Amino acid sequence: MKPDAPSDALLQVEDLHVEFDTYGGIVQAVRGVSFDVHPGKTLAIVGESGCGKSVTVQSIMGLIPMPPGRITRGSASLKGINILNNTFINGVDIRGNEIGMIFQDPMTSLNPTMTIGKQIGETLTVHRGYTQKQAYARAIELLDMTRIPEASKRASQYPFEFSGGMLQRAMIAVALACEPSILIADEPTTALDVTIQAQILDLMKDLQSETNMSIILITHDLGVVARMADDVLVMYAGQVVESGSAAQIFYDSAHPYTLGLKTAMPSNTNEQVQKLTPIEGSPPDLFAPPLGCAYAARCPHVMQVCRSQPIKQSFTLADGHQSACWLHHAQCESTTPGLFKKQSGGQT
Amino acid sequence: MTENSYRAQAGDFNPIIADHRIQGISRPSLSYWQDAWLRLKANARAMVSLYIVIALLFFTIAGPYIWTVDPAFQDLDQVSQPPNIDRKATLIKPYPIWDGSTGTVDVKDSETLYLAQAANTESVRLLWHVMPGAEGYRLYRNIFPFEQGQSMGLPLFTTFSPQNRLFEDLLDLTPRTFYYTLVALNATGQETSEVVNIAVEVQRVLTIEQAVSKGLVDSAEEVDVGDVVYLKLHPMGTDYLGRDMLARLMYGARISLFIGIFAPLIFVSFGVLYGSTAGFMGGKIDQVLMRFSDFVVALPFLLFMILFKIAFGIGPGESGVMPMLIAMVVLSWPSTARLVRGQILQIREEGYIAASRLLGAKSRYLIMRHMIPNTMGVILVTITFAVPSAIFTEAFLSFIGMGVAPPTPSWGSMCFEGIKTMLTHPHELIFPALLISITVLAFNLLGDGLRDALDAKMRSRE
Amino acid sequence: MRAYLLKRIVQGIITVWFIASATFVAMHNVPGDPLMDEKATTEEIRKNLMQKYGLDKSLFEQYIIYLKNMSQGDFGISFTQQNRQVNDIIREHFPVSAALGILAITFAAFGGILWGALTALYRNRLPDIVIMFLVILGVSVPSFVFAALGQLSIVSVNNLVGFSLIPVAGWGTIWHMLVPSMVLGMSTMAYLTRLMRSSMLEVVNTDYIRTAKSKGLPATQIFLQHQLRNAVLPVITVLGPAIAAITTGGFVVEMVFAIPGLGRYFVEAVQQLDYTVIMGTTVFYGAFLVFMVIIVDVIYGFIDPRVRVG
Repeated sequence: MKPDAPSDALLQVEDLHVEFDTYGGIVQAVRGVSFDVHPGKTLAIVGESGCGKSVTVQSIMGLIPMPPGRITRGSASLKGINILNNTFINGVDIRGNEIGMIFQDPMTSLNPTMTIGKQIGETLTVHRGYTQKQAYARAIELLDMTRIPEASKRASQYPFEFSGGMLQRAMIAVALACEPSILIADEPTTALDVTIQAQILDLMKDLQSETNMSIILITHDLGVVARMADDVLVMYAGQVVESGSAAQIFYDSAHPYTLGLKTAMPSNTNEQVQKLTPIEGSPPDLFAPPLGCAYAARCPHVMQVCRSQPIKQSFTLADGHQSACWLHHAQCESTTPGLFKKQSGGQT
Repeated sequence: MTENSYRAQAGDFNPIIADHRIQGISRPSLSYWQDAWLRLKANARAMVSLYIVIALLFFTIAGPYIWTVDPAFQDLDQVSQPPNIDRKATLIKPYPIWDGSTGTVDVKDSETLYLAQAANTESVRLLWHVMPGAEGYRLYRNIFPFEQGQSMGLPLFTTFSPQNRLFEDLLDLTPRTFYYTLVALNATGQETSEVVNIAVEVQRVLTIEQAVSKGLVDSAEEVDVGDVVYLKLHPMGTDYLGRDMLARLMYGARISLFIGIFAPLIFVSFGVLYGSTAGFMGGKIDQVLMRFSDFVVALPFLLFMILFKIAFGIGPGESGVMPMLIAMVVLSWPSTARLVRGQILQIREEGYIAASRLLGAKSRYLIMRHMIPNTMGVILVTITFAVPSAIFTEAFLSFIGMGVAPPTPSWGSMCFEGIKTMLTHPHELIFPALLISITVLAFNLLGDGLRDALDAKMRSRE
Repeated sequence: MRAYLLKRIVQGIITVWFIASATFVAMHNVPGDPLMDEKATTEEIRKNLMQKYGLDKSLFEQYIIYLKNMSQGDFGISFTQQNRQVNDIIREHFPVSAALGILAITFAAFGGILWGALTALYRNRLPDIVIMFLVILGVSVPSFVFAALGQLSIVSVNNLVGFSLIPVAGWGTIWHMLVPSMVLGMSTMAYLTRLMRSSMLEVVNTDYIRTAKSKGLPATQIFLQHQLRNAVLPVITVLGPAIAAITTGGFVVEMVFAIPGLGRYFVEAVQQLDYTVIMGTTVFYGAFLVFMVIIVDVIYGFIDPRVRVG
């Protein structure tokens, strides 16, 4: 999509395809995803469950179990070096070192039989050559940094002695132990209480401004996106349907799916009371994805071409704002004039 | 940046009415049991096991009607015979007592120890020449070839008279090769190093009278000396009392499978009843019931199997199958009860039960429609896995002599008898042991398959 | 922890009381008179004997005396071997069974963990298929067949080397224990291998293994420190019942290999209807197993931090 991408991109992902062999057949989980991550910025990847968000980042991190998983095409380069299928650069594992990762459920993401301090320190002994003692001391500092009270006492405890929010802080400490340049957060707040969610997001933001790291934030919560993201990628059925800056995505939504997501979300900006409109139907079967636009079956603006022609390239609407929708084709005379113009808030 | 270069055709941008049903799930909807059956059918190991189980049941139930040999009949001509032996027997005249004078057809000078005439199962007549310095002789018989320093076998005959140079062996002769060793004795009766040996091929013979009395020929007129008759067929050989192995294995299967299938059926049913009562009642009753089952679990299983068995007592002529069945049921139900109670407690809390209740479902409906179908899979798997352990228990107890009482055959008691002659007649151990192993294996694999088929969550684990 | 231990011990004692009572009830239903075979059949001697063993008292009184003796660890005098304390019999024969059992459980546990880990590591490849096939055989072949095969292999090894390298039967040296303990541990090892394998495969798919990978830890470190340790835990929980299975499985092995253990002695006692020995052995075994399970649970508590504190 961006052959002449700006040279400041930290991580560039191009045309990523991932498949899984399952009991029922081959699932094409990711079908040509591309994006850039810029230093110090937050990229949010949005989409409903099963759209391939997590698979995308997990394949970059080499966390896809192979078999049954398979990366069939594409590349991902960190600072210009391809890391797809090989997470080592110059014999050093970039995982935990250059890219840290936190997960959806902090309750199950930490080893239940190892102390928190040891789990944080492990990364340092492996990547930085710390002794056990140094690593443990640094682990306490890191716990302190993630605002866990009584860090030195907490470091000697086991995961089951922590609350969910505390565990996610500890996970952040694990991920940031080696001061990586990118933090991947895979639905980091989904399993947490609303109040704790805000605290974790604030913590991530604060740490980002302290360390100037980039964040890839995976979420299905547009509220989280609005709060955190600089750039946004909207995914549907393993493909990117719209990408752009947060402002472009929210105020200039250029894909019916993005519009649908927005109308399905409660808002407090409008004066008049609105009904929430769900998106009818369900995502396509990824065993046999449709030939045309994957969203065609649920799209209220569907046209003949949407079913008959695959969208090979997105339409560029403004600088950095792209949408994969036939409505933007030069020859298309929109039947709903003003559909994509100047939306503020919801759409009826 | 490149613009999308697709050239639109006429009608491309005509709107169409959105139809959400277009991408409905195309796979057919199956009931729980249909789905489970399909998954079981796809599991080759489980299906092979299922066929083996069916074949075993056929062997057990229909077998004795097809192979109608009495399992208690003792064929004394064929004791501990392996399968596939030569059943030919030549008819002869009755042998008179031998004094060494008759029948000495050819006196061989080349060999010291030689046969007076062709050896057969009636007698082996041996003669020997004088051995240098011999003041007496001792004759041994062995079933292994003579080897320096190894045992020479069974001492048959000892004499301290050097003139006595003949022996007629009448002892327990079977059609096979025997190795006779003659040792010269010195004046003090000690064995010297003067040894000769001979290998003797023993042929099976019968007198006409014997053949008639055994029912091998209808009347003495039909046959003549020198004719060949065939002994009774034992496809899997005979045991140490000459009883037909195949017939015994079939009747043994009845005992083993009876216990193996009925004991689990009964104790699982009782466990289901007990566990679901505890689960439904809850509270104090549940606690008391479960505490009691904890106690029963703590009883050392095999010790109490033995204790109960002797406590019930077996009168003369009884097989002891029922006491074993009862003891097994008394001791085995708690694990099922625990499992079912756990399931009931879990299902009770499920959302769909609450939903069903909100829609006005009565207890009866809840039990019939939700509780039973959802616990059925677990119960079925429990029964399948209980079968091999019950068969093992029977075999184990019979093996240590605490199982079914002889002469009732069971696979376990047949193993117990077979292990004594393991080295000489291995088939007596191998056949029942093989049947136990195959049965247990089949039920284990079937259980694995059922568990995989009935519980989708367990699928990926093993 | 102390409260937990106390609670478990009290439960254990109640359980042992239940076992003792069940034994008493079962034994007093046995038809036939234990003194039937006695040579001394005159009425007077008979009476004396009845009195000696307390058989003339009411059942309830007998029960109370029995419980009192049991609680003092006094199992009485053997019926058939006069002047022999049941305690002495247990003291003499139990160490033999225990030594055999300890060796067997060690063999089963280490073998099970090793093979289980190996199969999980090579999942669906040749080593996995071969080992799992042997495991299926291991749980499907009765122990006495293994015992017979064990003896056969001893014989053939001895024939091969030309002298009696390993004794075929009997007791005394470590060589006597080797094959019987392997035979005894065989089915338990097969069971533990299965358990370990599924436990390993379960752990491999957990979130914390994914976390460990995302930290860039070397594969061996993930395997040893994260996967193996967590996978072994469920295997340890079943060691209590496994000890029970091995102890009673000893009957067959002791019989086939002519080992003078308590199991073989128990079988003999049953054949001779030696009341006191049967009761004493049963209660002793029952108590032994109850407290083995408690000990295994306590050890488990030290290994799994979740139980240790909770």
